[in-house]
Amino acid sequence: MIEVSGLEKRYGGKAVLKDITFSVARGEVFGVVGHSGAGKSTLLRCFNALEDYQAGSLKVMGREVKDLDRAGRKQLRRDMGMIFQTFNLMGSKNVFDNVAFPLEIWGIAREKRRERVMELLELVGLADKYKERVQSLSGGQKQRVGIARALALSPKILLCDEATSALDPKTTIAILDLLEAVRRELNLTIILVTHQMEVVKRACNRMLLLDKGLTQGIGKTDSLFLAPTPDLKKLIEDEFTLIPTGVNIRLWFPREISRNAVITGMARALDIDFSIVGGKLERYLDDVRGFLIINVDDRHLERVLNYLQEQKLFWEVMDDEI
Amino acid sequence: MKSDSGTQKLFLGLFFCGLALATFVLCLYLFSLSPKEAFQAIADSFARIREELFLSLWQTLCMVFLSTLFSAVIGFGLASVMIITGPQGLAPRPAVYAALDAVVDVLRSLPFIILIIFIMPLTRLVMGTAIGTLPTVLPLTVAAAPFAARIIEANFLEVDRGVVEAARSFGAGIGQIIFRVLLPEALPAIILNIAVLAIALLGYSAMAGAVGGGGLGDLAYRLGYNRFQNDVSVWCILVLVILVRCIQSAGNLLYRRLR
Ligand SMILES: Nc1ncnc2c1ncn2[C@@H]1O[C@H](COP(=O)(O)OP(=O)(O)O)[C@@H](O)[C@H]1O
Ligand SMILES: [Mg+2]
Repeated sequence: MIEVSGLEKRYGGKAVLKDITFSVARGEVFGVVGHSGAGKSTLLRCFNALEDYQAGSLKVMGREVKDLDRAGRKQLRRDMGMIFQTFNLMGSKNVFDNVAFPLEIWGIAREKRRERVMELLELVGLADKYKERVQSLSGGQKQRVGIARALALSPKILLCDEATSALDPKTTIAILDLLEAVRRELNLTIILVTHQMEVVKRACNRMLLLDKGLTQGIGKTDSLFLAPTPDLKKLIEDEFTLIPTGVNIRLWFPREISRNAVITGMARALDIDFSIVGGKLERYLDDVRGFLIINVDDRHLERVLNYLQEQKLFWEVMDDEI
Repeated sequence: MKSDSGTQKLFLGLFFCGLALATFVLCLYLFSLSPKEAFQAIADSFARIREELFLSLWQTLCMVFLSTLFSAVIGFGLASVMIITGPQGLAPRPAVYAALDAVVDVLRSLPFIILIIFIMPLTRLVMGTAIGTLPTVLPLTVAAAPFAARIIEANFLEVDRGVVEAARSFGAGIGQIIFRVLLPEALPAIILNIAVLAIALLGYSAMAGAVGGGGLGDLAYRLGYNRFQNDVSVWCILVLVILVRCIQSAGNLLYRRLR
């Protein structure tokens, strides 16, 4: 669907994207993650030609974006909807007219427009609010209008720039669920830009980690988070600090293995004491995964590691500089 | 809240009515007139000046309406070009922007009375003559258009850039962005500013009247000042006050309607 290779973007002399390479397959939810200023929005805006790029190649549905003429760019934008952190709705229009706006721009006849808008508002669950002014809506409702508007022209790709960053956690989940539902229903490909790790974990199959315009990691979301590189670790700001004595080992639990069985099994098999110092359960896409941090005495370290090896668990001895 | 401010307005209104009545009574006493004689005098004065007053009002309305309309349209055009070619614009053209920017500021810095004289040859060329109500519309428009341009440019800049970006993201072109995004989003603020501009033009038109445009300012100057007919000046002022109130109220009303 989207192929990026060696992409570079400069503002004046300053490079904000350097040598970015990745591709997004049809139907994927692809995350772009990084701190503020990493270049996420800029990357996204290159996709629908809101920004140009200086080197490398960026192909959307087989067409090189840089080589498109005005009509080509317009068509490209028709094929890609976009939603925003600040919703960017028109305050001078009501809900209906905001959703109808892209259709007006493209000269769709009034009758058809009406039908399409009501269909979209039905889809996002706001059909009863079509006459309301957008100022009177809540953040979540505004984003629903934004989604309806972005889908008005039946795009194949949906670009989301921090779409949930202005929303509270509960609304965030509702919007992510809505995105997933429309993705399924409309066979969309979604690019999801965010600085919220929870959002990527919940929503994305694969992700690109961006820092200061450089790729810091790319791959499946769960494997990136389950076996983070040092850079990623720094970025995800691990909240587990270390216990002074002994060795901390972090265990990850792939879906086949039950946590309790491992812990009790190990205690029984090795007959040693160890303590659980931390842990976290997280939702990845469709199942719950997690890790535990256990603290074992130096004396037992080798036996414990051997045992973990036998059990084919993911594990890691944590060093102090996390 | 609402009834509160309503009551306040009522009291204010009563207060000023009372004040006016007291002044009137005081005048009667000072000039030792009976109320009947006083009303008769007012009616006589009005009858004497009525035709000229209405003609002047009509001339003023023509000048203000036409020059506001033209300067708003020209200002909108200039502002659109400036917002597009400006540093943050959709198609930055520094040279074009700098040129417009300079022209607008030079025109704004000329005192109006100088401007009228300065462009008289142009007025004569375009309108056939430099004297009269309609020819005066030209200098008025030339004076007000740069103001309108600046005001509208500022109102356009106020429009959330994200909204423009959203419109671009689903394929809106530059023309569509100006007419269907910037204009409707900025319209309430523009209307308020245009009302202010129209009131300023009312003032300018009085000056323009003095050099041959006619209108209320001219009437007050010709008869009221030069011929010492103070009652004419008072009638002119009264009509001007009402005009200003009307323009401002219309602006406020439209603003509230559109917002
Ligand atoms: N129009 C611009 N001109 C110059 N620099 C810009 C412009 N837009 C963004 N940048 C710079 O590019 C970098 C990436 O910005 P952005 O893509 O918005 O980051 P993110 O969305 O990841 O927070 C930032 O350092 C920012 O200062
Ligand atoms: Mg951003």
